[in-house]
Amino acid sequence: MIFFSMLYRNIKWRVHNWLTILFTIVQPILWLILYSTVASSTMKSTLSINYTSFILPGLMFLVCFASSCSCGIMNYIMKQEGSFNRLLIAPVSRDTMILAQVTEAILCSFFEVVLITFISLFLGVKISFTIASFMMIVLVLFLSSFLIASLGYSLSLKLPNDMVYQTMMNAIVLPIFFLSSALFPVDKIKGILGVIVQWNPFTHSIDLVRSVMLHQEIVLQDIFFTMGMLIILCCLSFLWARNSLKKEMEV
Amino acid sequence: MYAIEINQLSKVYKNGVQALDGFDLCVKEGDIFTLLGENGAGKSTLIKILTTYLKSTSGTVKMLGLDLNKEADKIRKQIACVFQQTSIDTFLSLEENMLFQGKLYSIPNDEAIKRMESLITVFGLSSYRNLPVSSYSGGVKRRLDIALNLMSNPKILFLDEPTVGMDVQSRNAMWDMVRKIRSELGTTIFLTTHYLEEAEVLSDSICIMKKGKNIVWGSRQKLTKLLDINYIELCLLNINIKKIEKYLCNKFPKWKLILKDSSIYIQNDKDIMDLLLKVLLQEKIQFESIGYVKPSLEDIFIQVLEEANI
Repeated sequence: MIFFSMLYRNIKWRVHNWLTILFTIVQPILWLILYSTVASSTMKSTLSINYTSFILPGLMFLVCFASSCSCGIMNYIMKQEGSFNRLLIAPVSRDTMILAQVTEAILCSFFEVVLITFISLFLGVKISFTIASFMMIVLVLFLSSFLIASLGYSLSLKLPNDMVYQTMMNAIVLPIFFLSSALFPVDKIKGILGVIVQWNPFTHSIDLVRSVMLHQEIVLQDIFFTMGMLIILCCLSFLWARNSLKKEMEV
Repeated sequence: MYAIEINQLSKVYKNGVQALDGFDLCVKEGDIFTLLGENGAGKSTLIKILTTYLKSTSGTVKMLGLDLNKEADKIRKQIACVFQQTSIDTFLSLEENMLFQGKLYSIPNDEAIKRMESLITVFGLSSYRNLPVSSYSGGVKRRLDIALNLMSNPKILFLDEPTVGMDVQSRNAMWDMVRKIRSELGTTIFLTTHYLEEAEVLSDSICIMKKGKNIVWGSRQKLTKLLDINYIELCLLNINIKKIEKYLCNKFPKWKLILKDSSIYIQNDKDIMDLLLKVLLQEKIQFESIGYVKPSLEDIFIQVLEEANI
Protein backbone atom coordinates (compact mmCIF):
# COMPACT_ATOMS: atom_id res chain seq x y z
CA MET A 1 0.00 0.00 0.00
CA ILE A 2 3.01 2.26 0.29
CA PHE A 3 2.72 2.73 -3.48
CA PHE A 4 -0.62 4.50 -3.06
CA SER A 5 0.68 6.65 -0.19
CA MET A 6 3.60 7.73 -2.35
CA LEU A 7 1.31 8.31 -5.31
CA TYR A 8 -1.00 10.44 -3.14
CA ARG A 9 1.98 12.46 -1.93
CA ASN A 10 3.15 12.97 -5.53
CA ILE A 11 -0.33 14.11 -6.58
CA LYS A 12 -0.29 16.61 -3.69
CA TRP A 13 3.05 17.85 -5.03
CA ARG A 14 1.52 18.30 -8.47
CA VAL A 15 -1.50 20.18 -7.12
CA HIS A 16 0.82 22.39 -5.06
CA ASN A 17 2.95 23.01 -8.17
CA TRP A 18 -0.07 23.49 -10.46
CA LEU A 19 2.00 25.72 -12.72
CA THR A 20 3.72 22.57 -14.05
CA ILE A 21 0.31 21.54 -15.46
CA LEU A 22 -0.18 24.94 -17.04
CA PHE A 23 3.32 25.06 -18.56
CA THR A 24 3.00 21.62 -20.13
CA ILE A 25 -0.44 22.15 -21.66
CA VAL A 26 -0.17 25.70 -22.96
CA GLN A 27 2.02 24.81 -25.94
CA PRO A 28 -0.16 21.93 -27.23
CA ILE A 29 -3.28 24.11 -26.85
CA LEU A 30 -1.60 26.82 -28.92
CA TRP A 31 -0.71 24.23 -31.55
CA LEU A 32 -4.29 23.02 -31.54
CA ILE A 33 -5.95 26.41 -31.78
CA LEU A 34 -3.52 28.57 -33.74
CA TYR A 35 -1.41 26.22 -35.83
CA SER A 36 -4.24 23.92 -36.89
CA THR A 37 -6.41 26.89 -37.92
CA VAL A 38 -3.64 28.51 -39.95
CA ALA A 39 -2.37 25.27 -41.52
CA SER A 40 -5.79 23.75 -42.27
CA SER A 41 -6.28 25.78 -45.46
CA THR A 42 -2.93 24.55 -46.85
CA MET A 43 -3.56 20.94 -45.84
CA LYS A 44 -7.16 20.84 -47.14
CA SER A 45 -6.15 19.38 -50.53
CA THR A 46 -3.85 16.75 -48.97
CA LEU A 47 -6.20 15.38 -46.32
CA SER A 48 -9.62 13.80 -46.47
CA ILE A 49 -10.44 14.97 -42.91
CA ASN A 50 -10.35 18.30 -41.10
CA TYR A 51 -6.73 19.18 -40.18
CA THR A 52 -7.51 19.84 -36.51
CA SER A 53 -8.87 16.30 -36.29
CA PHE A 54 -5.72 15.05 -38.01
CA ILE A 55 -3.27 16.65 -35.57
CA LEU A 56 -5.26 15.93 -32.39
CA PRO A 57 -3.69 12.44 -31.84
CA GLY A 58 -0.21 13.95 -32.37
CA LEU A 59 -0.96 16.70 -29.87
CA MET A 60 -2.23 14.12 -27.38
CA PHE A 61 1.23 12.58 -27.55
CA LEU A 62 2.89 16.01 -27.26
CA VAL A 63 0.88 16.58 -24.06
CA CYS A 64 1.99 13.17 -22.75
CA PHE A 65 5.63 13.95 -23.58
CA ALA A 66 5.53 17.35 -21.88
CA SER A 67 3.82 16.25 -18.68
CA SER A 68 5.88 13.06 -18.43
CA CYS A 69 9.05 15.14 -18.62
CA SER A 70 8.01 16.81 -15.36
CA CYS A 71 8.55 13.43 -13.64
CA GLY A 72 12.27 14.23 -13.55
CA ILE A 73 11.71 17.79 -12.33
CA MET A 74 10.23 16.35 -9.13
CA ASN A 75 13.59 14.72 -8.35
CA TYR A 76 15.37 18.07 -8.57
CA ILE A 77 12.79 19.72 -6.31
CA MET A 78 12.96 16.85 -3.79
CA LYS A 79 16.75 17.02 -3.76
CA GLN A 80 16.61 20.77 -3.24
CA GLU A 81 14.10 20.46 -0.39
CA GLY A 82 15.87 17.48 1.18
CA SER A 83 13.10 14.87 1.08
CA PHE A 84 14.95 12.83 -1.54
CA ASN A 85 17.50 11.76 1.10
CA ARG A 86 14.77 10.80 3.54
CA LEU A 87 13.03 8.63 0.97
CA LEU A 88 16.23 6.87 -0.03
CA ILE A 89 16.99 5.74 3.51
CA ALA A 90 13.40 4.63 4.18
CA PRO A 91 12.55 0.92 4.00
CA VAL A 92 10.78 1.28 0.67
CA SER A 93 11.75 -0.59 -2.48
CA ARG A 94 13.37 1.46 -5.23
CA ASP A 95 10.87 0.07 -7.74
CA THR A 96 7.94 1.42 -5.71
CA MET A 97 9.57 4.85 -5.54
CA ILE A 98 10.06 5.01 -9.32
CA LEU A 99 6.63 3.56 -10.13
CA ALA A 100 4.81 5.99 -7.83
CA GLN A 101 6.53 8.94 -9.48
CA VAL A 102 6.04 7.64 -13.03
CA THR A 103 2.37 6.82 -12.35
CA GLU A 104 1.74 10.35 -11.11
CA ALA A 105 3.21 11.72 -14.36
CA ILE A 106 0.97 9.35 -16.34
CA LEU A 107 -2.12 10.51 -14.44
CA CYS A 108 -1.16 14.11 -15.12
CA SER A 109 -0.76 13.22 -18.83
CA PHE A 110 -4.24 11.68 -18.88
CA PHE A 111 -5.73 14.75 -17.23
CA GLU A 112 -4.16 16.99 -19.85
CA VAL A 113 -5.14 14.68 -22.73
CA VAL A 114 -8.77 14.82 -21.58
CA LEU A 115 -8.52 18.61 -21.41
CA ILE A 116 -7.07 19.02 -24.91
CA THR A 117 -9.58 16.52 -26.34
CA PHE A 118 -12.39 18.46 -24.74
CA ILE A 119 -11.12 21.73 -26.25
CA SER A 120 -10.81 20.07 -29.68
CA LEU A 121 -14.55 19.30 -29.64
CA PHE A 122 -15.20 23.05 -29.91
CA LEU A 123 -12.95 23.18 -32.99
CA GLY A 124 -15.04 20.78 -35.03
CA VAL A 125 -13.28 17.52 -34.17
CA LYS A 126 -15.63 14.54 -34.22
CA ILE A 127 -14.60 11.55 -32.11
CA SER A 128 -16.40 8.26 -31.67
CA PHE A 129 -15.23 5.38 -29.50
CA THR A 130 -16.11 1.83 -28.77
CA ILE A 131 -15.04 0.45 -25.40
CA ALA A 132 -12.30 -1.55 -27.12
CA SER A 133 -10.95 1.41 -29.08
CA PHE A 134 -11.09 3.62 -25.99
CA MET A 135 -9.16 1.06 -23.93
CA MET A 136 -6.63 0.72 -26.69
CA ILE A 137 -6.03 4.46 -26.90
CA VAL A 138 -5.66 4.62 -23.10
CA LEU A 139 -3.14 1.78 -23.21
CA VAL A 140 -1.02 3.34 -25.98
CA LEU A 141 -0.98 6.70 -24.19
CA PHE A 142 -0.18 4.96 -20.91
CA LEU A 143 2.80 3.14 -22.39
CA SER A 144 4.06 6.25 -24.19
CA SER A 145 3.85 8.34 -21.01
CA PHE A 146 5.50 5.55 -19.01
CA LEU A 147 8.37 5.43 -21.50
CA ILE A 148 9.05 9.17 -21.43
CA ALA A 149 8.49 9.51 -17.66
CA SER A 150 10.97 6.69 -16.86
CA LEU A 151 13.43 8.19 -19.32
CA GLY A 152 13.01 11.56 -17.59
CA TYR A 153 13.47 9.93 -14.18
CA SER A 154 16.79 8.39 -15.24
CA LEU A 155 18.08 11.54 -16.90
CA SER A 156 17.20 13.67 -13.86
CA LEU A 157 19.53 11.48 -11.79
CA LYS A 158 22.34 11.87 -14.33
CA LEU A 159 22.14 15.55 -15.26
CA PRO A 160 23.42 18.23 -12.89
CA ASN A 161 20.47 20.64 -12.75
CA ASP A 162 16.93 21.21 -13.95
CA MET A 163 17.99 23.69 -16.66
CA VAL A 164 20.23 21.12 -18.35
CA TYR A 165 17.52 18.52 -17.82
CA GLN A 166 14.83 20.63 -19.51
CA THR A 167 17.16 21.36 -22.44
CA MET A 168 18.01 17.67 -22.80
CA MET A 169 14.38 16.57 -22.64
CA ASN A 170 13.45 19.16 -25.28
CA ALA A 171 16.33 17.91 -27.42
CA ILE A 172 14.90 14.38 -27.17
CA VAL A 173 11.17 15.03 -27.30
CA LEU A 174 10.90 17.70 -30.00
CA PRO A 175 12.79 15.72 -32.71
CA ILE A 176 10.70 12.65 -31.83
CA PHE A 177 7.58 14.78 -32.23
CA PHE A 178 8.57 16.52 -35.47
CA LEU A 179 10.00 13.38 -37.07
CA SER A 180 6.74 11.50 -36.63
CA SER A 181 3.31 11.58 -38.23
CA ALA A 182 2.04 14.02 -35.59
CA LEU A 183 1.65 17.08 -37.84
CA PHE A 184 1.50 15.76 -41.41
CA PRO A 185 0.98 12.55 -43.42
CA VAL A 186 4.29 10.72 -43.78
CA ASP A 187 3.47 8.33 -46.65
CA LYS A 188 5.26 10.42 -49.25
CA ILE A 189 8.42 11.23 -47.29
CA LYS A 190 11.42 9.65 -49.03
CA GLY A 191 15.13 9.22 -48.33
CA ILE A 192 16.81 9.31 -44.93
CA LEU A 193 14.03 11.38 -43.37
CA GLY A 194 11.50 8.77 -44.45
CA VAL A 195 13.58 6.03 -42.82
CA ILE A 196 13.88 8.00 -39.57
CA VAL A 197 10.14 8.69 -39.50
CA GLN A 198 9.36 5.00 -40.07
CA TRP A 199 11.80 3.93 -37.32
CA ASN A 200 10.28 6.40 -34.86
CA PRO A 201 8.10 4.30 -32.53
CA PHE A 202 5.76 7.23 -32.00
CA THR A 203 4.91 7.38 -35.74
CA HIS A 204 3.28 3.99 -35.30
CA SER A 205 1.69 4.93 -31.98
CA ILE A 206 0.18 8.14 -33.38
CA ASP A 207 -1.02 6.38 -36.54
CA LEU A 208 -2.67 3.70 -34.45
CA VAL A 209 -4.50 6.18 -32.22
CA ARG A 210 -5.48 8.25 -35.24
CA SER A 211 -6.92 5.33 -37.19
CA VAL A 212 -8.85 4.07 -34.15
CA MET A 213 -10.06 7.48 -32.99
CA LEU A 214 -11.02 9.05 -36.29
CA HIS A 215 -11.67 6.15 -38.64
CA GLN A 216 -12.65 3.40 -36.16
CA GLU A 217 -10.21 1.10 -37.95
CA ILE A 218 -8.58 -1.57 -35.81
CA VAL A 219 -5.85 -3.60 -37.52
CA LEU A 220 -4.68 -6.31 -35.13
CA GLN A 221 -1.25 -6.57 -36.73
CA ASP A 222 -0.61 -2.84 -36.14
CA ILE A 223 -1.84 -3.13 -32.56
CA PHE A 224 0.47 -6.03 -31.71
CA PHE A 225 3.45 -4.42 -33.42
CA THR A 226 3.00 -1.02 -31.73
CA MET A 227 2.14 -2.41 -28.31
CA GLY A 228 4.99 -4.90 -28.43
CA MET A 229 7.46 -2.21 -29.36
CA LEU A 230 6.21 0.16 -26.64
CA ILE A 231 6.26 -2.55 -23.97
CA ILE A 232 9.87 -3.47 -24.81
CA LEU A 233 10.93 0.20 -24.73
CA CYS A 234 9.07 0.75 -21.44
CA CYS A 235 10.85 -2.23 -19.85
CA LEU A 236 14.25 -0.94 -21.00
CA SER A 237 13.45 2.57 -19.82
CA PHE A 238 12.27 1.34 -16.41
CA LEU A 239 15.39 -0.83 -15.99
CA TRP A 240 17.53 2.19 -16.77
CA ALA A 241 15.64 4.27 -14.17
CA ARG A 242 16.14 1.50 -11.62
CA ASN A 243 19.82 1.27 -12.41
CA SER A 244 20.25 5.06 -12.21
CA LEU A 245 18.64 5.14 -8.76
CA LYS A 246 20.85 2.28 -7.61
CA LYS A 247 23.89 4.18 -8.84
CA GLU A 248 22.94 7.17 -6.68
CA MET A 249 24.42 5.07 -3.86
CA GLU A 250 27.63 4.37 -5.74
CA VAL A 251 29.05 7.81 -6.46
CA MET B 1 26.27 -4.30 23.35
CA TYR B 2 27.33 -2.08 20.48
CA ALA B 3 24.75 -0.35 18.30
CA ILE B 4 27.37 0.40 15.64
CA GLU B 5 30.63 -1.44 14.91
CA ILE B 6 32.79 -0.08 12.12
CA ASN B 7 35.87 -1.92 10.97
CA GLN B 8 38.43 -0.56 8.47
CA LEU B 9 35.82 1.43 6.54
CA SER B 10 37.03 3.18 3.40
CA LYS B 11 35.29 5.27 0.80
CA VAL B 12 36.88 6.47 -2.40
CA TYR B 13 34.54 8.50 -4.60
CA LYS B 14 34.56 7.92 -8.35
CA ASN B 15 36.34 11.25 -8.81
CA GLY B 16 39.25 9.83 -6.78
CA VAL B 17 38.61 11.69 -3.51
CA GLN B 18 39.27 9.46 -0.51
CA ALA B 19 36.70 10.47 2.10
CA LEU B 20 37.26 7.62 4.56
CA ASP B 21 40.52 5.81 5.09
CA GLY B 22 40.43 2.68 7.24
CA PHE B 23 38.00 4.14 9.77
CA ASP B 24 37.30 2.14 12.96
CA LEU B 25 34.65 2.91 15.56
CA CYS B 26 32.21 1.38 18.04
CA VAL B 27 29.16 3.09 19.53
CA LYS B 28 27.43 1.62 22.57
CA GLU B 29 23.67 1.11 22.59
CA GLY B 30 21.84 3.97 24.32
CA ASP B 31 24.81 6.35 24.12
CA ILE B 32 24.84 9.86 22.76
CA PHE B 33 27.86 9.69 20.47
CA THR B 34 29.44 12.73 18.87
CA LEU B 35 31.58 12.77 15.78
CA LEU B 36 33.73 15.88 15.63
CA GLY B 37 35.63 17.12 12.65
CA GLU B 38 36.29 20.06 10.40
CA ASN B 39 34.68 20.49 6.99
CA GLY B 40 35.91 17.80 4.64
CA ALA B 41 36.91 15.45 7.45
CA GLY B 42 34.54 12.77 6.16
CA LYS B 43 31.71 13.13 8.70
CA SER B 44 28.92 13.45 6.14
CA THR B 45 30.28 10.58 4.06
CA LEU B 46 30.37 8.38 7.15
CA ILE B 47 26.80 9.30 8.11
CA LYS B 48 25.62 8.66 4.53
CA ILE B 49 27.19 5.21 4.58
CA LEU B 50 25.75 4.36 7.99
CA THR B 51 22.28 5.47 6.93
CA THR B 52 22.50 3.21 3.81
CA TYR B 53 22.46 6.20 1.46
CA LEU B 54 25.96 5.50 0.11
CA LYS B 55 27.94 2.32 -0.41
CA SER B 56 31.42 2.03 1.06
CA THR B 57 34.44 0.98 -0.99
CA SER B 58 35.72 -1.50 1.59
CA GLY B 59 35.44 -2.43 5.24
CA THR B 60 32.60 -3.79 7.33
CA VAL B 61 29.84 -2.16 9.35
CA LYS B 62 27.52 -3.91 11.78
CA MET B 63 24.50 -2.03 13.04
CA LEU B 64 22.34 -3.58 15.75
CA GLY B 65 24.06 -6.85 14.91
CA LEU B 66 23.16 -6.64 11.20
CA ASP B 67 25.64 -6.45 8.33
CA LEU B 68 25.20 -3.14 6.51
CA ASN B 69 26.32 -4.54 3.16
CA LYS B 70 23.98 -7.53 3.24
CA GLU B 71 21.02 -6.45 5.35
CA ALA B 72 20.48 -2.80 4.49
CA ASP B 73 16.70 -3.27 4.21
CA LYS B 74 16.43 -4.61 7.77
CA ILE B 75 18.66 -1.81 9.07
CA ARG B 76 16.58 0.88 7.35
CA LYS B 77 13.56 -0.09 9.46
CA GLN B 78 15.50 0.61 12.66
CA ILE B 79 17.27 3.88 11.91
CA ALA B 80 16.40 7.44 11.01
CA CYS B 81 18.50 10.40 10.03
CA VAL B 82 18.00 14.12 10.38
CA PHE B 83 20.22 15.50 7.65
CA GLN B 84 21.81 18.95 7.71
CA GLN B 85 19.20 20.10 5.24
CA THR B 86 15.64 19.72 6.55
CA SER B 87 13.72 17.03 4.68
CA ILE B 88 10.08 17.94 5.23
CA ASP B 89 7.66 18.27 2.32
CA THR B 90 6.48 21.85 2.22
CA PHE B 91 3.48 20.90 0.06
CA LEU B 92 2.10 18.66 2.81
CA SER B 93 0.64 19.81 6.13
CA LEU B 94 2.35 19.00 9.44
CA GLU B 95 0.04 16.04 10.02
CA GLU B 96 0.35 14.79 6.45
CA ASN B 97 4.15 14.90 6.73
CA MET B 98 4.13 12.85 9.91
CA LEU B 99 1.55 10.33 8.73
CA PHE B 100 3.36 9.88 5.42
CA GLN B 101 6.52 9.09 7.35
CA GLY B 102 4.51 6.52 9.29
CA LYS B 103 3.37 4.95 6.00
CA LEU B 104 6.98 4.78 4.77
CA TYR B 105 7.80 2.65 7.81
CA SER B 106 4.57 0.58 7.55
CA ILE B 107 3.22 1.78 10.89
CA PRO B 108 -0.51 0.99 11.28
CA ASN B 109 -2.64 4.10 11.00
CA ASP B 110 -3.97 4.11 14.60
CA GLU B 111 -0.48 3.67 15.98
CA ALA B 112 0.86 6.39 13.66
CA ILE B 113 -1.80 8.85 14.88
CA LYS B 114 -0.92 8.08 18.52
CA ARG B 115 2.78 8.61 17.91
CA MET B 116 2.10 11.78 15.96
CA GLU B 117 0.03 13.27 18.79
CA SER B 118 2.69 12.40 21.33
CA LEU B 119 5.54 13.83 19.22
CA ILE B 120 3.59 17.03 18.47
CA THR B 121 3.28 17.56 22.25
CA VAL B 122 6.88 16.63 23.06
CA PHE B 123 8.28 18.92 20.36
CA GLY B 124 5.91 21.80 21.11
CA LEU B 125 4.37 21.81 17.65
CA SER B 126 0.69 22.06 18.64
CA SER B 127 0.38 25.73 17.78
CA TYR B 128 1.80 25.15 14.29
CA ARG B 129 -0.59 22.35 13.40
CA ASN B 130 -2.92 24.38 11.22
CA LEU B 131 -0.30 26.64 9.65
CA PRO B 132 1.24 25.91 6.24
CA VAL B 133 4.62 24.17 6.68
CA SER B 134 6.24 26.59 4.22
CA SER B 135 5.54 29.44 6.68
CA TYR B 136 7.50 27.82 9.56
CA SER B 137 10.72 29.37 10.81
CA GLY B 138 13.98 27.42 10.43
CA GLY B 139 13.89 26.29 14.07
CA VAL B 140 10.32 24.98 13.86
CA LYS B 141 11.10 23.20 10.59
CA ARG B 142 14.06 21.55 12.29
CA ARG B 143 11.87 20.44 15.21
CA LEU B 144 9.30 19.01 12.83
CA ASP B 145 12.09 17.26 10.91
CA ILE B 146 13.29 15.53 14.08
CA ALA B 147 9.75 14.67 15.18
CA LEU B 148 9.11 13.24 11.71
CA ASN B 149 12.16 11.03 11.92
CA LEU B 150 11.07 9.75 15.33
CA MET B 151 7.74 8.50 13.97
CA SER B 152 9.29 5.10 13.31
CA ASN B 153 10.71 4.82 16.87
CA PRO B 154 14.23 4.31 15.49
CA LYS B 155 16.77 2.45 17.57
CA ILE B 156 19.50 4.69 16.18
CA LEU B 157 18.95 8.34 15.32
CA PHE B 158 21.56 10.14 13.22
CA LEU B 159 21.74 13.90 13.57
CA ASP B 160 23.98 15.58 11.00
CA GLU B 161 25.08 18.93 12.47
CA PRO B 162 21.69 19.59 14.05
CA THR B 163 22.54 22.98 15.56
CA VAL B 164 24.43 24.55 12.70
CA GLY B 165 23.28 28.15 12.15
CA MET B 166 21.09 28.17 15.29
CA ASP B 167 21.04 30.95 17.89
CA VAL B 168 22.03 30.15 21.50
CA GLN B 169 18.43 29.71 22.68
CA SER B 170 17.46 27.31 19.90
CA ARG B 171 20.70 25.41 20.38
CA ASN B 172 20.01 24.91 24.11
CA ALA B 173 16.47 23.78 23.29
CA MET B 174 17.87 21.32 20.77
CA TRP B 175 20.31 19.92 23.33
CA ASP B 176 17.43 19.41 25.79
CA MET B 177 15.50 17.64 23.07
CA VAL B 178 18.39 15.31 22.26
CA ARG B 179 18.72 14.37 25.95
CA LYS B 180 14.97 13.83 26.15
CA ILE B 181 14.96 11.51 23.11
CA ARG B 182 17.65 9.39 24.71
CA SER B 183 16.14 9.31 28.19
CA GLU B 184 12.50 8.79 27.15
CA LEU B 185 12.92 6.58 24.10
CA GLY B 186 16.26 4.94 24.84
CA THR B 187 17.43 5.81 21.33
CA THR B 188 21.12 5.64 20.49
CA ILE B 189 22.05 9.05 19.11
CA PHE B 190 24.87 9.55 16.64
CA LEU B 191 25.51 13.21 16.00
CA THR B 192 28.08 15.12 14.03
CA THR B 193 29.17 18.63 14.88
CA HIS B 194 31.84 21.28 14.47
CA TYR B 195 31.36 22.50 18.01
CA LEU B 196 33.46 21.16 20.86
CA GLU B 197 31.08 22.63 23.39
CA GLU B 198 28.21 20.63 21.95
CA ALA B 199 30.20 17.42 22.23
CA GLU B 200 31.24 18.28 25.76
CA VAL B 201 27.70 19.06 26.94
CA LEU B 202 25.85 16.19 25.27
CA SER B 203 28.03 13.20 24.67
CA ASP B 204 28.84 9.98 26.43
CA SER B 205 31.53 9.21 23.89
CA ILE B 206 33.33 11.22 21.26
CA CYS B 207 35.41 10.69 18.15
CA ILE B 208 37.52 13.30 16.40
CA MET B 209 38.18 12.57 12.76
CA LYS B 210 40.42 14.13 10.17
CA LYS B 211 41.02 13.21 6.54
CA GLY B 212 38.79 10.17 6.87
CA LYS B 213 40.67 8.78 9.85
CA ASN B 214 39.73 8.31 13.46
CA ILE B 215 42.17 10.48 15.43
CA VAL B 216 40.79 10.36 18.96
CA TRP B 217 37.99 8.14 20.14
CA GLY B 218 36.80 7.53 23.64
CA SER B 219 34.68 8.76 26.49
CA ARG B 220 33.88 12.41 27.09
CA GLN B 221 36.33 12.38 29.97
CA LYS B 222 39.14 11.70 27.54
CA LEU B 223 38.31 14.75 25.49
CA THR B 224 37.69 16.88 28.57
CA LYS B 225 41.24 16.09 29.59
CA LEU B 226 42.41 17.62 26.34
CA LEU B 227 40.12 20.60 26.93
CA ASP B 228 41.57 21.20 30.37
CA ILE B 229 44.87 22.20 28.85
CA ASN B 230 45.45 25.93 28.99
CA TYR B 231 47.37 27.85 26.42
CA ILE B 232 49.01 31.23 26.57
CA GLU B 233 48.20 33.25 23.51
CA LEU B 234 50.90 35.70 22.56
CA CYS B 235 49.79 38.15 19.85
CA LEU B 236 52.85 39.76 18.33
CA LEU B 237 53.40 43.09 16.63
CA ASN B 238 56.70 42.08 15.20
CA ILE B 239 56.46 40.73 11.71
CA ASN B 240 59.44 38.47 12.30
CA ILE B 241 57.28 36.03 14.22
CA LYS B 242 59.21 32.92 13.17
CA LYS B 243 62.43 34.34 14.60
CA ILE B 244 60.72 34.90 17.95
CA GLU B 245 59.25 31.40 17.91
CA LYS B 246 62.71 29.98 17.17
CA TYR B 247 64.18 32.01 20.01
CA LEU B 248 61.58 30.73 22.49
CA CYS B 249 62.04 27.17 21.25
CA ASN B 250 65.79 27.34 21.78
CA LYS B 251 65.50 29.00 25.16
CA PHE B 252 62.77 26.67 26.46
CA PRO B 253 63.07 23.38 24.55
CA LYS B 254 60.45 21.67 26.73
CA TRP B 255 57.69 24.15 25.89
CA LYS B 256 55.08 23.14 23.30
CA LEU B 257 54.63 26.00 20.85
CA ILE B 258 52.07 26.38 18.07
CA LEU B 259 52.39 29.11 15.47
CA LYS B 260 49.17 30.42 14.01
CA ASP B 261 48.72 33.66 12.00
CA SER B 262 50.44 36.40 14.02
CA SER B 263 50.22 34.57 17.34
CA ILE B 264 52.19 31.99 19.21
CA TYR B 265 50.32 29.54 21.45
CA ILE B 266 52.32 28.06 24.30
CA GLN B 267 50.99 25.07 26.21
CA ASN B 268 50.73 26.12 29.84
CA ASP B 269 51.45 22.85 31.65
CA LYS B 270 53.10 24.63 34.57
CA ASP B 271 52.35 28.27 35.20
CA ILE B 272 54.90 29.86 32.90
CA MET B 273 53.27 33.27 32.48
CA ASP B 274 55.68 35.13 34.83
CA LEU B 275 58.69 33.56 33.21
CA LEU B 276 57.43 34.34 29.70
CA LEU B 277 56.66 37.96 30.53
CA LYS B 278 60.12 38.38 32.07
CA VAL B 279 61.77 37.05 28.92
CA LEU B 280 59.64 39.22 26.63
CA LEU B 281 60.51 42.38 28.59
CA GLN B 282 64.18 41.48 28.87
CA GLU B 283 64.48 40.85 25.13
CA LYS B 284 62.29 43.89 24.32
CA ILE B 285 59.96 41.78 22.19
CA GLN B 286 56.95 43.91 21.29
CA PHE B 287 53.55 42.24 21.62
CA GLU B 288 49.96 43.33 21.22
CA SER B 289 48.45 41.16 23.94
CA ILE B 290 49.08 38.16 26.11
CA GLY B 291 46.57 35.98 27.95
CA TYR B 292 45.27 32.54 28.81
CA VAL B 293 43.07 30.80 26.26
CA LYS B 294 41.23 27.50 26.05
CA PRO B 295 42.18 25.43 23.03
CA SER B 296 39.87 25.48 20.05
CA LEU B 297 38.97 22.33 18.18
CA GLU B 298 41.63 23.28 15.68
CA ASP B 299 44.26 23.58 18.42
CA ILE B 300 43.33 20.17 19.73
CA PHE B 301 43.52 18.83 16.20
CA ILE B 302 47.00 20.23 15.79
CA GLN B 303 48.09 18.75 19.08
CA VAL B 304 46.46 15.39 18.40
CA LEU B 305 47.82 15.31 14.88
CA GLU B 306 51.30 16.05 16.15
CA GLU B 307 50.98 13.21 18.61
CA ALA B 308 49.44 10.91 15.98
CA ASN B 309 52.00 12.10 13.42
CA ILE B 310 49.42 12.50 10.57
